[in-house]
Amino acid sequence: MTAATDRVNIIVSRLEAVCSDYIAYVKDWKERTGRKAVGVLPMNFPVELVQAAGALPVFVQESDEPVTDGRNLIYEYYCAYSKSITDQAAKQWLDLFDGIFAVDHCVALLGALDAMRFAMPSRLVYLAQFPASMDEQASIDEVDKRMRELRRELEKLTGAAILPEAISEAIRSRNEARQIVRRLFALRRDGAINLSARMMQAIVQSGMIMDAAEYLETMLELEAALADFPPVHDRKVKLHLSGHFCHAPRPELFDMIEQCGAMIVDDDLYTGYRFVSTDVAETGDPAIALRDWYFQRNVNVPCSTRAQKTADWEGYLLQALERSGADGVIILMAKFCEPHMLYYPELRKTFRAQGVPYLLIETEHEGLALEMLRTRVESLVELISKRRTAEASGQPGIKETSV
Amino acid sequence: MSVDLKTKPVALSNRLKSTRAGGKLVAEYWDRIFTAPERGATVAWYNGAAINPLFQAIGIEWCHTEAFGARLAAMHLEGPAQEMSEEYGYNRELCSYARTTLGCAVLAKRDGQANEIELAGMEGEKVLASRLPPPNLFVNAYAGCSTGQQWDEISYRLFDKELPLFKISYPLLWGNQPDAAYIQGEEWEEASRYVAAQILKLIEFLEHVTGRKFNWDQLHESMHYIKQAAQLRVEALELCAARPTPATFFDWVASIAPINFLPGDEKLVQYFADVKAEIEDRIANDIPALPNEKYRMAFDGIMNWNKVGWLADKFAERDVAVISGRYTHTSFWHEPQLLDENDPILGMAKHYLLCPFNHNARTVGDRLLHDAERFGLDGVVFHSTRTCRSASNGQLIAAQMAQQAGLQTMIFDGDVADVSFYKDAILDTRLEAMLEAIDLHRRAGA
Repeated sequence: MTAATDRVNIIVSRLEAVCSDYIAYVKDWKERTGRKAVGVLPMNFPVELVQAAGALPVFVQESDEPVTDGRNLIYEYYCAYSKSITDQAAKQWLDLFDGIFAVDHCVALLGALDAMRFAMPSRLVYLAQFPASMDEQASIDEVDKRMRELRRELEKLTGAAILPEAISEAIRSRNEARQIVRRLFALRRDGAINLSARMMQAIVQSGMIMDAAEYLETMLELEAALADFPPVHDRKVKLHLSGHFCHAPRPELFDMIEQCGAMIVDDDLYTGYRFVSTDVAETGDPAIALRDWYFQRNVNVPCSTRAQKTADWEGYLLQALERSGADGVIILMAKFCEPHMLYYPELRKTFRAQGVPYLLIETEHEGLALEMLRTRVESLVELISKRRTAEASGQPGIKETSV
Repeated sequence: MSVDLKTKPVALSNRLKSTRAGGKLVAEYWDRIFTAPERGATVAWYNGAAINPLFQAIGIEWCHTEAFGARLAAMHLEGPAQEMSEEYGYNRELCSYARTTLGCAVLAKRDGQANEIELAGMEGEKVLASRLPPPNLFVNAYAGCSTGQQWDEISYRLFDKELPLFKISYPLLWGNQPDAAYIQGEEWEEASRYVAAQILKLIEFLEHVTGRKFNWDQLHESMHYIKQAAQLRVEALELCAARPTPATFFDWVASIAPINFLPGDEKLVQYFADVKAEIEDRIANDIPALPNEKYRMAFDGIMNWNKVGWLADKFAERDVAVISGRYTHTSFWHEPQLLDENDPILGMAKHYLLCPFNHNARTVGDRLLHDAERFGLDGVVFHSTRTCRSASNGQLIAAQMAQQAGLQTMIFDGDVADVSFYKDAILDTRLEAMLEAIDLHRRAGA
């Protein structure tokens, strides 16, 4: 192992530690700084406002713990994330946050938020709902209004005025971190660095938790270390991972996929490229820039939790495959995720029409049938390998797209 | 009490006779939808709130596709549509309303001109699911549920993004501020104005798409009738506080379709006048809904359309009068005093926001306790609706609030339009346990 590899592994291990116990990180940060921490819910929260108020914005993460106390507040047929955050609230783990804020509108997420409010009576649980329909001027105006409201409530909570200069500074620091991570995605896509999916997720996910300055510093350190990181040498099957909104897939799942002879070259996971896809404009009114960021990120990487006539997730995916040279797609769907379930047939239709090999894997909070999934992933890898062989020998193409 | 699982409960409830006329009106409505293409009529597919007076005023046919899903399930004819949606790729855990109507959309698109088709295993039968005519435009008006909004987005895509689509966005009535309460507070007023402004935009959209002038006089007229019908319905609901109750929640389920999407006209008013008259007659003549009313309950959640009659009989068999319900009593123009028939837009917006699934959990619990007080209830039956997170949100919190208020509660598993999620044995066991608890409580009180 080279020194560069060692350095990268050490940095990523630090990030993985943050992700594996985000509560501990927040507790430690509060003790170190004496400042407030605000829990926010995915996937569109403008964290720069919280940062500008001098508080730590933290995307509440799914916990590995089984859902127990939360079962009194939310049914089992909700997604893993909704159940887990409700459970964490019911166990009082989230009381370390000075408030919980959300802007998204997913019906399951709002159910969970309401349950959290019931379970955390001593904390402010605030919803500044952004419309999910992106086509109307009324939605733009409403997001403007909600941004102002958020700013006002965060000022009340933190006792600090949120100044435009502070928002701009938060935007700049977060943009810089996003740009570094996007460069890492590009390097991985091009085969210039051999970063595993587990590592890539830790790099992104830790940015949802860590103090912005500390995170940026770590990203700079990581990027420097990656300059000497080994490139990809073999011709493994290249896959794109798609979907999995709101929370992180289990890293063991990534490991298993890679053990099947595949290499993850790109993704549009929420805890992946989707999270860092879009910068906030650094010129003009920062509040307007944050509003525009909300609308722009659905153009850059369309999401089925939004309703936008001109944004097509399937079209984005085809372009992403073209860009990365991925041979196929694994769609990771959190069980009971309605926006994903609704859109999945559109993706399937496109993949079939375009001859893109794909595999759908549903994930759950408790229980990941890794060995059963391994067989399915192996079949996908085999299908793609056969295609490659056939194409290389000039034989007729294999038509199957799913396993 | 033991129950033979294979035997349908004996019909013991004395259902209202006047609601049969509603069934006829609703059947006529669907026939009008089915025959729209041959009449050259423009058809709007819409979901969610009762925006039908707007379509009536622009002179087009309105097809409440979600209601069609409910109708198919109530008639046990949802199978072909759900099979089609599964074949298309929809997961069984997805909202069964959406699955059913998207299945209909696939059928309608495949069939082109809305002719009845035959599906495998149903040869020779007219498949109701395939009779839905393809739309000319979509309007989404779904409050309280992100899936409701997204499913029309998908319908739009199913028809190759070639048809006009308009979406109304509603904020959840979350209640951030201290003055927020049921139909009170600045958030409520602000949300109402926001929705009202979108309704005006919808009118512009309808004028643009149809090339017709919006008929404001027609809107005022239909809202005049709707307000009258709504007032009669609310008064009749209130009469059911009588002991024993003259009509049950299940009678009111039969009246959902008329108030939800039938035209605002004299026939609608007459329908609810007749329902109210029958209830008054029952009170005057001591005719109860159940021969031996022993327990009084609320039903929380959305309907289980596959099992309406079954559930009505099951509760009646145990002398349980289910009197009120979130779906029936806190929805469908249920606050007619908010309607100004001469300037109806704001009042309409308010009602659209008052979708029973667009409240926060505290409000759901508070309204439940309010109903428990006014109807003298012993307990609450919660329908845990497997594929409807919108109806399920807040139920477990409302249940805790009800328990703290001394009400007995039970939860049963089912679904809005997918019969496979209904668990009869669980309902039996839990209902029996709840009734025993009420008996014990009563004995202790005595």
